[in-house]
Amino acid sequence: MPHATTIAVAACLLLAACSDTESDRQQGSVIKFSGSALGAEGTLVARQIDRFNSLHPDIHVELQRTPDDATQRHQLYVQWLNARVGTPDILMLDAIWTPEFAAAGWILPLRRFAPAIADFFPATVEANTWSGDLYALPWFADVGLLYRRTDLVPNEPRSLDELATEAARAIKRPGGPRYGIVWQGARYEGLITTFMEYLGAFGGQILDERGRVAINRPEAVRAVTFMRDQLYESRIAPLDVLTWHEEEARFAFQNGNAVFMRNWPYAFEQLTASAESRVAGKFAVSPMPGAAGGRSTAALGGAQLAINRYSESPDAAYRLIAYLTAPEQMIERAQAVGQYPTRPALYDDPRLAAVRAIPLQQAKRAIENATPRPVTPIYTEMSEILQIELHRALVRQAEPQAAMNTAASRIEALMKRTGMRTLTGATGR
Amino acid sequence: MKYEARLGWMLVAPAIGVIGLIAIFPLGWTLWESLHMHELRMPWLGNPFIGLGNYAEIAGDPRFWAALGHTAFFTVTSISLELVIGLFLALAMNRAYRGRGLVRAAILVPWAIPTVVAALLWRFMFESESGIANAILVDVGILDQPIVWFIETATAWVPVILADVWKTTPFVALLLLAGLQNIDLSLYEAAAVDGANGWWQLRHITLPLLKPAILVTLIFRTLDGFRVFDLIYVLTGGGPGTSTEPVALYTFNALLQNLRFGYGSALSVVIFAITFGLAMLYVKGLGVRLGGEER
Repeated sequence: MPHATTIAVAACLLLAACSDTESDRQQGSVIKFSGSALGAEGTLVARQIDRFNSLHPDIHVELQRTPDDATQRHQLYVQWLNARVGTPDILMLDAIWTPEFAAAGWILPLRRFAPAIADFFPATVEANTWSGDLYALPWFADVGLLYRRTDLVPNEPRSLDELATEAARAIKRPGGPRYGIVWQGARYEGLITTFMEYLGAFGGQILDERGRVAINRPEAVRAVTFMRDQLYESRIAPLDVLTWHEEEARFAFQNGNAVFMRNWPYAFEQLTASAESRVAGKFAVSPMPGAAGGRSTAALGGAQLAINRYSESPDAAYRLIAYLTAPEQMIERAQAVGQYPTRPALYDDPRLAAVRAIPLQQAKRAIENATPRPVTPIYTEMSEILQIELHRALVRQAEPQAAMNTAASRIEALMKRTGMRTLTGATGR
Repeated sequence: MKYEARLGWMLVAPAIGVIGLIAIFPLGWTLWESLHMHELRMPWLGNPFIGLGNYAEIAGDPRFWAALGHTAFFTVTSISLELVIGLFLALAMNRAYRGRGLVRAAILVPWAIPTVVAALLWRFMFESESGIANAILVDVGILDQPIVWFIETATAWVPVILADVWKTTPFVALLLLAGLQNIDLSLYEAAAVDGANGWWQLRHITLPLLKPAILVTLIFRTLDGFRVFDLIYVLTGGGPGTSTEPVALYTFNALLQNLRFGYGSALSVVIFAITFGLAMLYVKGLGVRLGGEER
């Protein structure tokens, strides 16, 4: 008899639990948002989500913690999505993941929600478009910039040759800095972003318009050679850059040891506000210049928001994405953490001009010149091949042409293995 | 008898079950996985059975063969140094002197430091132009000017090998010391009476009787060397290019960075086969006895 009572109680509890969730569902949807939740960025996201929750009583958004490190977050997402897990409903994607996730069928195409894509920078839209549909909305943009010591080089260089000449002149001056230019050149994704800018400057591409490998064509080899000459011919860049990430380059520039630096916008705030900075007020930014045969090019980074294909409430999820990428929230984000809006119209907003650390017009110019990295689902593997061969060329293990030939044939083998005739064409599901 | 046999099986069944669950089953699954194409990031390829396709890809993969070469180079170089230095340390520690216990404890300090931490320490010393390694070598006059260690293959190996020797020699020394203490001292007394000098004693008494301990050390260190991962992951990341990349790092990369489960599993199986083969070679070919029956 006591058994029967226990079972009855348990059954009641279960039923109660069931009916609770049921009423919850009728009341509204619970969606989970995942993204960087550390420090000031975390506070900002929590504040915006709270506001969204109070504006939309029928939706309840929860923050789901995921690793801040992009590679780890990527790995976790891929494992969840392979297991068809419906949460988090909203995924925060790096600039280079969208085609991979789209081709895998892990995120929803957004056309059915009719987003106003004309309001975003074209390059940020291009990076998120796969097989003719948009798969993620650009949340904030990151862009490669050329930092310059204005006390040594007053005017922004108009070409790569001018940059090299100015750098060489400034380090020869008595009391001049040790290094002409510093950039991130270790063997990792950052090297590709640096390379993209030289590549575009010489008119080269990683993949051409028809999705064929173009990395061993003369323009690309000229770009590699130009980077290599900075190290061994003109010697304006120290060999150390081949082991450097963003922060080592920033330290060198911040300590007054470099004339030019290629870095992301985040460095601007540090160089201006940090007590250790020896260059505060003595530097400016501009887009990386072009060279003969090409144009000024900036690598594009940043984050995008996409909807998990297995989400139970895609409509509610889209409403949150639309809210977070709306002008108001973008301005608030720029004010709080200095990240650039993906909507060009906001760059004339007086509230943005008031944010001290943002050089608005130069950044806008750079983003307009920005080139997304190749939009292909096998980007990560392709990038790894390129990182290795590029690094081999830069440390002089191989000649530029030979290294790029190897890279091209490995990428072609990769395409064959993954069953793609071209990298950007429609594959997939 | 039959009953006893059955009882015996029942008693060992839990142990067999545990071993099966944590050793045989994962191994079998990895083997099975290695016969499939399984690219976690490319679900459109499906998960087809491809027989030995992954192994064929390994056979034709220059990066794998290069990695195997790097692993062999690392193993042979670092173990040779560790054996020689470790033998000297063991001989020194085997003598009776005051504070011997303290020295034996102190020598173990590098071994007690986690590999990742040790690797970071060595990286800091070699990393920048103004690092301590450059400063000392320039001061002493070995180098004319500071060099960037990690951008040339030959110099990138230096901190890697040094770190491994620094960290593992104590372990080798202790294994050899244990071997030394098994040697009957009366042999030395007899040799001394016959007028044999120290060098003769080392060659004809110490080394032959130390052979079992040396072989056990070799087997441990070779297997460790072939699976080296964390040290190189932290110190060089396999660079410059991929010229210091060992097989374990390449496997990690295929399996966990690129999420190629089939190919990565095949690489794991290959590493397993190589280390297993080496162990067999030592045990059968060189007569290492892991049991305690020798003398």
